[in-house]
Amino acid sequence: MKKLTVEVCVCTQCVLNGAMHIIESIEGLKKLKTQLRMNAQVDVVTTSGLVEGKHPDTAPLVRVNGELIEKANSETVMEKVLSQSVRSVKVQ
Amino acid sequence: MKGIYTPVTKIRRQVFQEIAKLAFEGGDYHRIEELPFKIIPGEVASYRDSVFKERAIVGERLRLACGLDVRPADKHAPVSDGVNEAAIDRLNYEPPLVNVIPFACEACPPKQYFVSDNCRGCLAHPCVSVCPVKAVSMKDGHSFIDKEKCLKCGRCHDVCPYHAIVQFDRPCAASCGVDAIESDYLGRAKINQDKCVACGQCLVNCPFAAIADKSQIFQLVHALREGEELIAEIAPSFVGQFGPLATPGRVKEALKALGFKEVYEVAIGADLGALAEAEHYAHGLSDEHPMMLTSCCPSWSVTVKKFFPQLEPCISTELTPMVATARIVKQEHPNARVVFIGPCASKKLEAMRRTVRSDVDFVITYEELMGIFAAKEIEFGEYEDVSDAAEATAGGRGYGVAGGVASAISAVIKEKYPDLEVKMDRAEGLRECRKMLQLAKAGRRKGYILEGMACPGGCVGGAGTLEPITKAAGEVNKFAKASAEATAVGSPFAGKEAE
Repeated sequence: MKKLTVEVCVCTQCVLNGAMHIIESIEGLKKLKTQLRMNAQVDVVTTSGLVEGKHPDTAPLVRVNGELIEKANSETVMEKVLSQSVRSVKVQ
Repeated sequence: MKGIYTPVTKIRRQVFQEIAKLAFEGGDYHRIEELPFKIIPGEVASYRDSVFKERAIVGERLRLACGLDVRPADKHAPVSDGVNEAAIDRLNYEPPLVNVIPFACEACPPKQYFVSDNCRGCLAHPCVSVCPVKAVSMKDGHSFIDKEKCLKCGRCHDVCPYHAIVQFDRPCAASCGVDAIESDYLGRAKINQDKCVACGQCLVNCPFAAIADKSQIFQLVHALREGEELIAEIAPSFVGQFGPLATPGRVKEALKALGFKEVYEVAIGADLGALAEAEHYAHGLSDEHPMMLTSCCPSWSVTVKKFFPQLEPCISTELTPMVATARIVKQEHPNARVVFIGPCASKKLEAMRRTVRSDVDFVITYEELMGIFAAKEIEFGEYEDVSDAAEATAGGRGYGVAGGVASAISAVIKEKYPDLEVKMDRAEGLRECRKMLQLAKAGRRKGYILEGMACPGGCVGGAGTLEPITKAAGEVNKFAKASAEATAVGSPFAGKEAE
């Protein structure tokens, strides 16, 4: 099973702008693993060093397998995670 | 909606941050007029029919965050009206605390039941059978509710096997445990201030951000800027509210970096309250006072006073943790001003009481404080995680979670009076509290400790918190368990109570 790392910045600006809800949303995806046909192990990591310096205009910051998402929210991050961790279904 | 980051949360927090930033920068505050354009940029409305209306609503929220009154839509008044006068380093407050911004309210219809497309027109149609006033009938093969006759009892809703009968209620009214939400002449929500106990649940549950309470951050930031001797007392539910980097030790250091001289845990006062209320329970119950009602939640105690006045003498007269801690602070720092930082709106009103006014100088919520931290660019990760000085016990630190108050009192009683049987009942959310009080009024809670918490989950579910209730409760309990002393009996402040 492949691994998917979701790094969520938890600096003051990011927490104020919803970083903790993004974490909750991604953790919540794990409970829907079967329904979503996920084939990756999703690890959520909190950090404050995704970019150099303060970033009030781009918070919250999230990195999904190396790809940075600025002004992230639960919808954009869940979409990105699922696009990289869901088995494609063959239509017969 | 609590714990979910929505556009409503975003706007509320942006307002706190921008007002704190404005106050830190100082100067001419007429530039508050620019803030609605910063918070609602662009020319196209996002959630309402016009971007001008969105900005006007934000303008009123900015005013409330400065502690100013909300204005009616038919009066010409710039956002900046009165802001320079409110730029002072002491409290600037005129009631009411909780306000509906009338033109932000969508005038949601009041509680009603209606039949959805899920109705199959079933043979059984139990909805018809259970209606006591024949308001439900079968019409064109589907269930039909005559709104004129409907009592809104909900029986049809409860028995429908397809969940086809839907209950609709205004979220503000549904969340109000004292039925204080009424309607104005346009059907918009209006708060009956005679009933309101300022729990703040309506303001977190309105999906249109039409309700807000007045804040004291504008004045507090001025006091911080003036370099006054300010001491923070932070409520037991603070743990875990500011993100994973904000350990309890770092929160205290970050507060000092903001300009607070010292930081005290309100759990110290909670310990003293648990000790005093344990004695009250052991020796103070009588025929006139046959039960003891906890006193720490102001919305709960005001609910008792307003709706169950015959039970008011049973409310513990011990100091609330906020006041007990503030008095300790003022004994140790006679010239200091005390800032209570907590989860709830109603503490703002408690601090206004004649007997408390000299003890607590400002009250702000965690969410408001986070706005101040962000405005000042405080990063928790930059501070040392100073080890705890073990000033409070697990009992006091557990006050922030529903059941924690009664447990702390009970633990003291068990330690000091092991042969005394302790009877407890508790309720969270004002609707549940009122049910418990109804039983008490009927004489069915004699000899009990009754713990009432206005917010679901206790203080961790307060209107001014940032984190989801369950997660926050887990953090508070973990911190409490790590305390050096398990019960309030081990408090180093025991016997040093302030007068």
